[in-house]
Amino acid sequence: MSRHPGQRQSPQRAAQKEQPKTAQVPRRKGAQQHTTKPQGQWRAWLRHHRAMCLDSARRLVHQPVGSVLTMLAIAIALVLPSALWLTLDSAKLVDAELDASATLTAYLDHSVSDAEAGRIQEALSAQPEVSSTHLITADKGMEEFQQALGLDDVLDRLDGNPLPAAVVIAPKQPDPDEMEALAERLRDMSGIEEVRLDLAWIERLRQLSELGRRVTLALAVLFGLGVLLVVGNTIRLAVENRRKEIEVVTLIGATHAFVRRPFLYSGVWYGLGGGLLAWGLLTLGSGWLAAPVAALAKSYGAHYTLPSLGVWGSITLLVCSTLLGWLGAWIAVSRHLAGIRPR
Amino acid sequence: MIVFEHVGKRYGGRFEALAHLNFHIRRGEMVFLTGHSGAGKSSLLRLIMRLERPSRGRVLVAGHDIDRLHSSQLPFYRRQIGVVFQDHQLLFDRSIFHNVALPLEIRGLSPRDTARRVRAALDKVGLLHREKALPIELSGGEQQRVGIARAVVNKPALLLADEPTGNLDPQLSADIMRLFEDFHHIGTTVMIASHDLALIARMHHRILRLSDGRLVGDEGGV
Repeated sequence: MSRHPGQRQSPQRAAQKEQPKTAQVPRRKGAQQHTTKPQGQWRAWLRHHRAMCLDSARRLVHQPVGSVLTMLAIAIALVLPSALWLTLDSAKLVDAELDASATLTAYLDHSVSDAEAGRIQEALSAQPEVSSTHLITADKGMEEFQQALGLDDVLDRLDGNPLPAAVVIAPKQPDPDEMEALAERLRDMSGIEEVRLDLAWIERLRQLSELGRRVTLALAVLFGLGVLLVVGNTIRLAVENRRKEIEVVTLIGATHAFVRRPFLYSGVWYGLGGGLLAWGLLTLGSGWLAAPVAALAKSYGAHYTLPSLGVWGSITLLVCSTLLGWLGAWIAVSRHLAGIRPR
Repeated sequence: MIVFEHVGKRYGGRFEALAHLNFHIRRGEMVFLTGHSGAGKSSLLRLIMRLERPSRGRVLVAGHDIDRLHSSQLPFYRRQIGVVFQDHQLLFDRSIFHNVALPLEIRGLSPRDTARRVRAALDKVGLLHREKALPIELSGGEQQRVGIARAVVNKPALLLADEPTGNLDPQLSADIMRLFEDFHHIGTTVMIASHDLALIARMHHRILRLSDGRLVGDEGGV
């Protein structure tokens, strides 16, 4: 099916010279008796792959509008789950921070001096459930508060420091029940006014991120099926268009693999093209959103940049889209070839 | 080369296309298969190509029961048979050269060997000067000769032809038949289905006559 035999020639063709003129007996086993030596076969196989790879690409280029539309359909189906996945990936970072932030905070009485606070911290560290502690004195707390809010003027106008000293306690087990029990015990210690732990919103966030993960997965599966259908339908039409050719080559001894090959390459090209377009759309989209997102984050005093695919993300996207294209083509061709019998 | 043993073929359970066929075609023989339309000529050829399987009996080609070939072996079996069709089955989107090269590409021959053998086959049928032409640019007789070149480019041991002169005038038909005779002379087994009785009677080869799916005559054999 290639149109370019006679172009490439390699020096070692001795293995494939003349075929015997007399009848070759069709043996029941080992059907390759009519072909050439293994090395020649291997080279012929590679040659056909290369020819079909180029031929499929040429056919795509010859119908630019149809090809681009198909790739665009694939790209759109890939963009949504990819974007969700990226968002989720950045949420995972937040999630990891949350784990580390599963701490208790013991607020000390206002009357407690810095020296006493140090002793209380030591006492807390001695608790078996406690992994580490960190003392924030009243002055330091004020400093951090000012930095976080950037409200120097207002706080300067206050009389004295309204903040108590606090000890941040990291438990050995970030288990909600155990932390609750620990907090209950610590409340009774002298010098401690209040123990806070806010597990509910951590738990809620976790559930939310799990929900997001599952929604993304479900959408990825659905849209992946969409890609299979798009490619499958396109390939089905291509097979129908070349029905006569398939019948003829089957009549003169083409194997299924030989017939399937150009269509599989078409699928691969569609998938790869769709993946590249999806990558472009994602890059374009995140570039378009970057400025307002950065401005929004800055207004909250935070620094947040939109997640990007990165090298591995890009490779994953392209490999997945190419595989989906190949698989869609394979399903379509296999289903269709069974229905084509030479007349 | 080809042995039919009590071969019968039914379609759809009732219509009996072929019945009780027994004959033997030796290696290197040239045989005409004749009979009115619907007598079963095409069905018989399709059995040999294993496009159909017999409902009963056995078809042996080169000593092997082809009904027992696994479907994955069929392509390799068919590569050893050259087939010429009445409507020649050329692909109109590629040149004469590439039409004839198709069986060799399927076999994976190198481009150099392919070109050499395609040109030899085209030379044999007298169309070497048209290798770059598209099938649509050729006359009916020329198209049929391209079909023959494609059938023989693989140097098959067995050459089958189904009404190869069906649409041609007497002069062209005689030319085509002489071409088949040439292949017969170099040792190829040739089997031609044709209802052109006047033409095949002049050629003095064995003739198998079919009528309603039965063998009613076998004459001229050596």
